[in-house]
This record gives sequence, structure tokens and C-alpha cells, in this order.
Amino acid sequence: MTMETHSPTGPPVPNLDLDSLRQAIQTEYQVVAENPDHGFHFHTGRPLTRMLGYDDAWLEGISEAAIASFAGTGNPFSMEQPEPGDRVVDVGCGAGMDSLVAAKMVGPEGRVVGVDMTPAMLAKARKAARDTGLRNVEYREGFGEALPVFDGWADLVISNGVLNLMPDKHAALGEMARVLKPGGRLQIADILVEKPVPAGAKRNIDLWTG
Amino acid sequence: MAVVMAGFVDFEITWRADVFGGAPQESSAASFGTMGINFRARKATSEEEWQAALARLNCELPS
Repeated sequence: MTMETHSPTGPPVPNLDLDSLRQAIQTEYQVVAENPDHGFHFHTGRPLTRMLGYDDAWLEGISEAAIASFAGTGNPFSMEQPEPGDRVVDVGCGAGMDSLVAAKMVGPEGRVVGVDMTPAMLAKARKAARDTGLRNVEYREGFGEALPVFDGWADLVISNGVLNLMPDKHAALGEMARVLKPGGRLQIADILVEKPVPAGAKRNIDLWTG
Repeated sequence: MAVVMAGFVDFEITWRADVFGGAPQESSAASFGTMGINFRARKATSEEEWQAALARLNCELPS
């Protein structure tokens, strides 16, 4: 399937093979889940958490397996921490480290829903939640452009290093808005580029993943 | 702009840094000056608040 993805903020990406893109991303992040020491074009694991300013106290008790497969690009919790009782959606949760950090912060009265499209990551996240002993977090399979979450459910949406992998960012941001309550908070880690990416390069799936 | 157009207000980039340098494999990131960022925003509490944020962007909604 190919589609023209259009953001009101920029030109479309004609003839981008969406299925191939998603498969390439799933393949890459399956390796991150199953072999986190493989060595990637991005940092992973505990060294990355320290680079991004994660407090060691936030990670206490969290499954080392989830931490090992962490591949974020920033720190959603550095802006403001979730409050006890908050409902949080983690978009592109991966192996679940950020979801588990959020689950600790919101406490037993809060809830966290992690969403990811990669089955290997979801399996790892669900095991990590069991191993960590947190019961206020669940993981759902889905795409950022179609979140499996009810309208207005969340107090806070977080995401870490994922929005850049979504071809239709307008749809993804729209979904984040949809699931938030009015006044709800968006706290995202992602990437920006300082040099323009040529239109032809946007169709190169290898550049999306590497 | 995309964040505001999706229904958010009070958009702010709070941090940026090179998060790819020194990674085990070479990346295309450096060629585009790619940096990690943190940003935040808030879902507008009303249509009026959102329209005011859009007006500050001085943009038009897509038809």
C-alpha cells in the first residue's frame, strides 16, 4: 500500500510505501527488543538513560530487560512528572520502560496504557510489568495514527523517539489530542533536523530507520 | 505549527542535544543535523483558546 501522507505544515510524501516502512521499523525494533546489545545507530539502555537525565531513583525496581531495550531520544519526565492518580498514555512504548516509570509515579490510583505496533516489544513490555510487579499498567497493540484509547481518557500523553517514525505526524498528533482531556498535557521526546530533508530522501525507507 | 494545528496550545521546546553521537553504528542523523528534543504542550480547553493559538500562528486551517 502506498499513500500520500500530508501534513498541513509541509509537503506530502508521495509514493511512500507505508507497509514497507512499518515492516522495516518493526524489524529494527524487534532486534532492539530481542538483542539490545546488538549495537545500533542510536544509543540504548542504562547508558542512554544517564545521557538523557533519567533519575536513577525512577528506575529502581524496574525490570532490567525493559531498561536494556530503552531507545528513546529524550526525557518526557524532565518537563513535569505525572501526578498520583493521573491517567497516562505512552505512545510507542517499546519495551515499556517509560510506561513503568510513569506507573510508579501515578501510583495505585493512576493508570498507564502503553501502545506499540511491534509484537516483540509488547511481549517484552508485558513481561517487564509482571516482573516489576506493577498492576496499574497495561500494553495494547496499535498504531500512533489510530490509538486504541477512548476519547478524553488521559491526563497526560508521553512518547519518546517515536513521532519521527510515523509518516502521518498530523494524524498522530490528532490522536494524541483526541485521547487527552481538555487541558491535558503532552510531553514528548523526539528529534528535529537542522537541515532540510529532500523530498526524495523522505521516500528512502533506510533513512527512516538508520 | 503541526502541534498547534492538532489542537494544542502553549507549545514549548524545553531541551535539545546531540543524542546520536558516539552510537555503535554510524547514522544518517549527523548529515541532517539531527538532535534529540523534549517538547510540551497542552490540549486546548476550549475552541476559543485553540482559535486564539491558531491566530497567533497566522495560518489557515486546511479545507
